[in-house]
Amino acid sequence: MKTLKIIGLILLCSLPFFNLGWLFLQDDLGANPVETLESTTGDWAIYFLLLTLLVPYLTQVIKFRWFLPEYLIKRTLGLAAFAYVLTHLSIYFVFDMSLSLEDAWFDIIERPFILVGMSALLLLIPLAITSTLKWQRRLKKHWFTLHKAIYVIILLGITHGIMIQKVDITEPLLYLGLFILLVILKQLKKRRLFPKHKLFASSKA
Amino acid sequence: MTKLTENQVTDEHLFLNRREFIQKLTALGLIASPLAGYAGQNFTSHPNPNYQPKLSLTSEEDVTHYNNFYEMGTSKSDPSRFADSLKTAGWQVEVTGLCNKPTTFSMDELAKQFPNQERIYRFRCVEGWSMVVPWSGFPLASLLKSVEPTSKAKFVKFTSIDDPENLKGQRFRTIDWPYVEGLRLDEAMNPLTLMATGLYGKALPNQNGAPIRLVVPWKYGFKSAKSIVKIELVEEQPISSWMHIAPQEYAFYSNVNPNVPHRRWSQAKERPLGSFFKKKTLMFNGYGKEVAYLYKGMDLKKYY
Repeated sequence: MKTLKIIGLILLCSLPFFNLGWLFLQDDLGANPVETLESTTGDWAIYFLLLTLLVPYLTQVIKFRWFLPEYLIKRTLGLAAFAYVLTHLSIYFVFDMSLSLEDAWFDIIERPFILVGMSALLLLIPLAITSTLKWQRRLKKHWFTLHKAIYVIILLGITHGIMIQKVDITEPLLYLGLFILLVILKQLKKRRLFPKHKLFASSKA
Repeated sequence: MTKLTENQVTDEHLFLNRREFIQKLTALGLIASPLAGYAGQNFTSHPNPNYQPKLSLTSEEDVTHYNNFYEMGTSKSDPSRFADSLKTAGWQVEVTGLCNKPTTFSMDELAKQFPNQERIYRFRCVEGWSMVVPWSGFPLASLLKSVEPTSKAKFVKFTSIDDPENLKGQRFRTIDWPYVEGLRLDEAMNPLTLMATGLYGKALPNQNGAPIRLVVPWKYGFKSAKSIVKIELVEEQPISSWMHIAPQEYAFYSNVNPNVPHRRWSQAKERPLGSFFKKKTLMFNGYGKEVAYLYKGMDLKKYY
């Protein structure tokens, strides 16, 4: 039953991906299909990362526990973000760099926004690998330290998004705002400033 | 993107027949003409045989639905969505400044005095995508000659529409409105420089800069200012809108140059709209033969 639920959640997370695939087959990705693919996969990577951070608060408002334990939801959302980042990179490598490692290398070292995005991706790899319970047990308290990297990754991702805009940075700024709010909430929770508020109730899964 | 085959597009004859039919009804006094009052509807343009390169055209759908026209919003789909917010009725273009015969033209007067010709040009955006567009218009040189620039005139300054009441993008200070562009006088007088009033054999759609815009095919697209209301002959080099927003990224000349990267991205390649892969960008967008002489002896890395 649990496996089925996880598969269901994975399918839910794949909806934007299937939608892109459908638009691709329908030849309906617009005048600049590669740009559409890149910006959509990039956006969803950020959404899923932010959603992962939001889960502890959401579980206080909407009770998810009948569905899946919190850690499984977080892991699935985090891995979904990783999958979107990998798709994002693949599209860039195939269509922008025409599969040339040399071109990609020069692009990374010459274009700061590519370097920033690439760092976010590299940092996500160890988190994806160690996302299992087995790794969590093996790493003990270091696991939590390691997975704090998600804050750095999100910040790098949003910065990457700001750096490619010509003038209008409203959208990435909104994500940045949400991110800052989440960091503040986390700090309030950690310092037990409002222990009675339901948002900050302990949420052991 | 799949290429539209000829038979998938509305047959041009059907299209014209419909118009002729309406015109006949109007002539017979059966209906009030829906076409009257807008010069653009009686649009005529003849291909100029000197500007018909063998390039595959970007589809009309892409040309008219993937636009940067921040007056209507910063998304590429905003201009076609909010096209109606651009009001072009009674449009006038003021040609003034350092000249002997400053003149304000109505669109009808322009059409009469400067017959349209169709030219196929490459169009390269600074963002790294490109199109091939069949523009209709007339050389800017003939318009400028008609007002007789004085010897003091060294540059030409173009000012676009300023209408924050109707144009939602102008309510935000993304740009210090109105949009301003500029050319050196000899660039403006180059035979390639076009004042376009149409594309694909029809009057310019609002989202492409109706009713009249500049087209400078060897420069990045943003130099080709849209919906122009004022053309001024000036002595000093004008400060264009993009120079004003980000002087470290955009300079006055902005010639297409694969060897000078944008501060944040490469300009060596471009993606033709509708295509998945990129192709190499050409120096001066492929118009070196016509314009390279303008920049002889200039360091194009410095004057980018």
